[in-house]
Amino acid sequence: MLTRPTTDQIILDLRRELLDTIDPAVEAAPVKIVIQMMENVLRNCAERAAHEIAWMREESTAMVDYARRVIDTISSTPTIDATLAAHDAGPRESLHLDDVSAVYSLAGHCFSAALEHAVATGHLELHLAARAILDLRLEHENRIKGEWAFVGRA
Amino acid sequence: MHHPEEMPERLARFLDARTGRKAVVASYEPMIGGYSRLMARAEVEWADGSRQTLVLRGDPPPGKAMMDTDRAVEWALLSSLSASGAIDMADALHFDESGESLGTRCIVLEFVEGRSLQSLLNDIEPAAGYGHHVFDLVDTMARVHSIEPATVGDSLARPSDWESYIDTLIDRFVVAESGHVESNPFLRYVAGWLRANKPAPLPLRLVHSDFQPANIMVEPTGKHRVIDWELAHIGDPREDIGYYNVYSSSSGPNLLMTDPESFLARYRERTGFGEDAVNLATLGYFSSLAAVTVYSQVLAGAGAMARGLNSGILTTYTLNALSIGHANFMAGCVVPTA
Repeated sequence: MLTRPTTDQIILDLRRELLDTIDPAVEAAPVKIVIQMMENVLRNCAERAAHEIAWMREESTAMVDYARRVIDTISSTPTIDATLAAHDAGPRESLHLDDVSAVYSLAGHCFSAALEHAVATGHLELHLAARAILDLRLEHENRIKGEWAFVGRA
Repeated sequence: MHHPEEMPERLARFLDARTGRKAVVASYEPMIGGYSRLMARAEVEWADGSRQTLVLRGDPPPGKAMMDTDRAVEWALLSSLSASGAIDMADALHFDESGESLGTRCIVLEFVEGRSLQSLLNDIEPAAGYGHHVFDLVDTMARVHSIEPATVGDSLARPSDWESYIDTLIDRFVVAESGHVESNPFLRYVAGWLRANKPAPLPLRLVHSDFQPANIMVEPTGKHRVIDWELAHIGDPREDIGYYNVYSSSSGPNLLMTDPESFLARYRERTGFGEDAVNLATLGYFSSLAAVTVYSQVLAGAGAMARGLNSGILTTYTLNALSIGHANFMAGCVVPTA
């Protein structure tokens, strides 16, 4: 397959065409707002295309490791056990986007169950460790989001 | 409304049927700025020579709505609010409940002369300060929150008490997560934090739920009229303060954060609520909690798209609002200390 230009480069080029060629030719205000929204979504998609598989894998590992750490440090619960089993049965070796996304979601369930258990038992260190993982996810989301505000709302 | 070229004729027939007066729709233009509903402005000439400007607010085509709300509920609320005179708003005139006349379920409203508060604020140089607009905003918010549940009759569900209401509101994080197409640890975390850190209660009142300057029309006299009530409900009035703070932090200016103590003091003075319930700590709490109403609607739209049941630029564009919600959830959930 052809890999260069990369998907994010192609998407950003489409965005440039949208702004340089299509937008100047449009006069209707509602359509201009849609163009602004499309510009933003294309930027989001470019960033996701460039990084999303790596970021989901990184976060999935961190979330499942956290769940195992909670088991080792405090104890397990039936919910943590069940979510870990579901995760382990998932398509963890595949790098196809749909599979990586599915495993990421399963890892999220493990993490949530473990986090709730850690908070319920008042374990401060594990509570803070969980927040660090949430901060990592937020950092990735913010990179995808970039500059953003509601357009056309005045 | 889905076919603007048909609307002058359809609207004229609708108005004729509803009022018994002949009307000619001289112009009909879709309006920008509405995210969840289709909006349009129509100039009407009545048989007696008088003219009237109307605003139409209808449902998008199936599968194109970024959030799902009921026009019949909105119409019932608008009707009861109009009748009560409790708050200045755009008068609700007609409702096409079946959608047969106007092509979609649609509410016809009086057009409000003036500009939105958001538009006025956008014209102000921040260094110059926002002057009277700050307290005008507080006073409008306080007026909404002075409306007791009985004022809107049966148009909105009435929770039995504050404690169970807040529990239900917090549960919406969990419900939103469990019904979504993928896990979302932010929602489970914030729900646990909110349950463990409940503030002092307040009387349940009318909550607008999308209280932001784009939904406040300012007449040339300076009078505020509050619009877009589709998410309104009976709840904790601090939801609107928190939501305003969250919304305006991402789409400024944030008039609350220019001087939060003075903003909240004015609000307490206007509502009679105590400092034990309205303070910086409860502002943080409700900045996390309040966004769930809009957040869960946007999340549901994203889930519908993932399942192939929804489409449209508004759904993908507002995915970023979910990330802003996550940031606000985390900011509101104070980090524990040893």
